[in-house]
Amino acid sequence: MSKTLFKIKKYREEAEIPTASMADIAFLLIVFFMLTTVFTANKGIEYGIPKKEKNATIKPEESIYIHIKKDGYYVDFKKFDSIDEISGYIESKMEKTNFKKPVVIRTDPDVNFQKTVTILDLLNQIGVKNISIPTEEEIREWKEYFQD
Amino acid sequence: MIFGYRSKKLKAVIPTASMADIAFLLIIFFIYSTTFSVDRTTVFLPSSTVRKLVEKNAAIIAITKEGEMRLSDGIHESVPISSLKELNQRVQEIVMKNPFKEFIIKCDRFSPYENFDRIYQILVDNKVKNIAILTEQKIKK
Repeated sequence: MSKTLFKIKKYREEAEIPTASMADIAFLLIVFFMLTTVFTANKGIEYGIPKKEKNATIKPEESIYIHIKKDGYYVDFKKFDSIDEISGYIESKMEKTNFKKPVVIRTDPDVNFQKTVTILDLLNQIGVKNISIPTEEEIREWKEYFQD
Repeated sequence: MIFGYRSKKLKAVIPTASMADIAFLLIIFFIYSTTFSVDRTTVFLPSSTVRKLVEKNAAIIAITKEGEMRLSDGIHESVPISSLKELNQRVQEIVMKNPFKEFIIKCDRFSPYENFDRIYQILVDNKVKNIAILTEQKIKK
């Protein structure tokens, strides 16, 4: 028998990386990230708290006093029906003092928080630089100035 | 026959080679844009027109309409707070570590003001320098 009879031709398979399932894996990961992604709220109104100094002499200063009650907004003890009216009133008062006049915001405990934010937003829009939000404790402490 | 030759039929194939590329591009986008928020309390945020970007890693105090509170130091997940005394203690600890730490107040718009006031008082007492009230964009009608 000759040697040539036992020679079998070998079929060489081409080397390849199976990529058919790659897209499936990738889409699975996309679905995971889409479901777990939460769009966090990261914007708001900034407010710097003034330093609390004991026994400090505080000079009485003319200011605009906003009292937010359940039945509406009171600015300098007068009731205002709309935010636009308040805006006009504050702007007219502020223009004389280069927007440096202090504004005190007092909110009654049972009023929705949104109302306070609405006023804060309005003052920010006008460009008021000096805003004061006294706490209930401070209001009690300075009750002679909050008689209404 | 001269004209009757057999036309070669091409197999119908949807090219899927670039599918993985597109998918991975989307994955990269999601990986980059995903931020793991430390507080996931569901509240209806008050709306405002003027909004500024709050500081990253600031401590968060969340207050729901019912008055339930949660606190996060900005790094770890928020934890429920059972009383104002506990909140005061935890705020004190945060301020001790970093006196310039900013606090974000995430208060429900329908929450009564007294809920905010109590927390605000604690922050004032602990000499917190800056606070931010989280809001959502107000759409002008």
